[in-house]
Amino acid sequence: MTPATDTSGTAGTPILSLEGIGKTYGAVRALSGVSFDVRAGETLAICGDNGAGKSTLIRIVSGAQTPSEGTIRLAGAPVTFASPADALSQGVATIYQDLALAPTMTIAQNVFLGSELTTRVMGVPLLAKRRMRREAAEHLSRLRLAVPDMNRHVSDLSGGQRQAVAIARALRWQARIVIMDEPTAALGVRETRLVLNLIKEIASQGITVILISHNMADVIEVAERAVILKGGRKVRDTALAGWTADDLSHVIMGHEAA
Amino acid sequence: MTESTAAAHSDAPPAPGVRLKTAVARYGTAVGGILVFAVFALAADNFLTVGNQFTILRQVSFLVVFSLGFTFALTAAELDLSFAAVASLAGVVCGGLVHHDYPWPLGALAALAIGGAFGLANGLFVTRAKIPSLIATLATASIATGCAFAITEGVAWVGRWDRSFLWLGRGEMGGVPVLVVWMALAALIAVFVMRQTRFGVWLTATGQADEAARLAGIPIRAMKVWGLTLSGLCAGLGAVLLTASLSSAGPTSASDFLMKGIAAVLLGMTMFEPGRANVPGTVVGALVIGVLANGLVLVGAAYYVQDIVLGLIILLSVALSASVLTKAAFTV
Repeated sequence: MTPATDTSGTAGTPILSLEGIGKTYGAVRALSGVSFDVRAGETLAICGDNGAGKSTLIRIVSGAQTPSEGTIRLAGAPVTFASPADALSQGVATIYQDLALAPTMTIAQNVFLGSELTTRVMGVPLLAKRRMRREAAEHLSRLRLAVPDMNRHVSDLSGGQRQAVAIARALRWQARIVIMDEPTAALGVRETRLVLNLIKEIASQGITVILISHNMADVIEVAERAVILKGGRKVRDTALAGWTADDLSHVIMGHEAA
Repeated sequence: MTESTAAAHSDAPPAPGVRLKTAVARYGTAVGGILVFAVFALAADNFLTVGNQFTILRQVSFLVVFSLGFTFALTAAELDLSFAAVASLAGVVCGGLVHHDYPWPLGALAALAIGGAFGLANGLFVTRAKIPSLIATLATASIATGCAFAITEGVAWVGRWDRSFLWLGRGEMGGVPVLVVWMALAALIAVFVMRQTRFGVWLTATGQADEAARLAGIPIRAMKVWGLTLSGLCAGLGAVLLTASLSSAGPTSASDFLMKGIAAVLLGMTMFEPGRANVPGTVVGALVIGVLANGLVLVGAAYYVQDIVLGLIILLSVALSASVLTKAAFTV
């Protein structure tokens, strides 16, 4: 097992900065004044109880919603994401809770969904199927996964393998930041193990991971730092070295940890 | 049990039982179609003659063109119940122009334009006004039928028309009826578009997993509009061929094709790519329906038997592959 290394001393421009992010829905305020930096290559957990604002925050960072106030910076430059597809094209990939895969389509089709490779034959762009299968297999093998046939439907795969397909799609986009929303929520023990290993694998390849999870043990295992939200505000931003799952639960529930 | 094991360990090759099951699921209906063909070949004396086989193919050609349109729409998870009424209207306009001695290409273009316009309107009603396609296309079908009756005042255009126009539906190329050539071309283009282009993948993804498609940046509303517009264009194309073949055009000329077309596509969904509207399935489905319709007549079955058989085919096909269809019927 690779212990999470403490990178809190790393210098340089943060890969992602949130400055004073707020979001209101009519009269309801879901987020206010949330600011934090994410350093390149770190694995950051966003924690909080239900209703703390995690989902809203992640929808904003993934491009699914626009903030009511505040600025997002990507490697120092202010950005706006018009849609998740727009965020993806700028290197921010979100792996959704419900996975956002097309179960009745093949692995290769899913990895390249919406950005299929083509070759021109007499001026007509045709699908480069063999190349997509080969590159999809390469992306999956980067995740150190026994690679099944790229022509298989995603519905034939296990929950963990589907996560791998979703991550392979992020790799295809050369994503610098991968956001994972409750990646282990619906999984059994063995599949959870597989997904945690996937997270460590992509982190070890220098990809920044933002993890949203209710499972404190998972957070402690893979994340180096946690941002804790409560009532739409950031209440803690802390390195997790030396923390236990219990410490984290206590802070989230509102009791101060040691 | 073999099935669940294979699903869990995806790296293991599927067991022989699973492979047989897959083969039955993919090709079972096609084999059934061959059996139907064999039964008629034995039961009706003149079924197997070259003349009768060409008759079947000619009848099937319109059906294939209409059904390809329905296939495009259903691939994007939308139903087009208007294609037959739109085809009748397009036929009436095309036939009316030819009848009144306008150049036939103008008539053909007008038919395509009407088909495309109705398809586009269907698409906009579904994606912009959020009317389920089941309802929207039922409504536009009624409008199209009304317009067709208004134009002809209830009668049909019949006449001695420009022979180059009639060739479109009655001519031959090297001994093969041109209708068969048009059908083959339309089917080949449809297969090509669906299998080899990004458009085909996007249309499929829109119908199979609209949310995933949207998150992947696929313009799903535009794809739905395209699916319905292509259905309308196929209705227009089929109308030209039908009008040229009949040398007449009436306000209900194409209405028979509604149930047949739906049955062909649904039957096709039980083949090749089970549960999904697909071009090869649609073509084979249309052939089976054509053989049934022709064979039933030749063995002397009463005219209403065909309707009952079509109904049963629709019920059985949907029972075998329900998911996409329920989605198409009940969601926007």
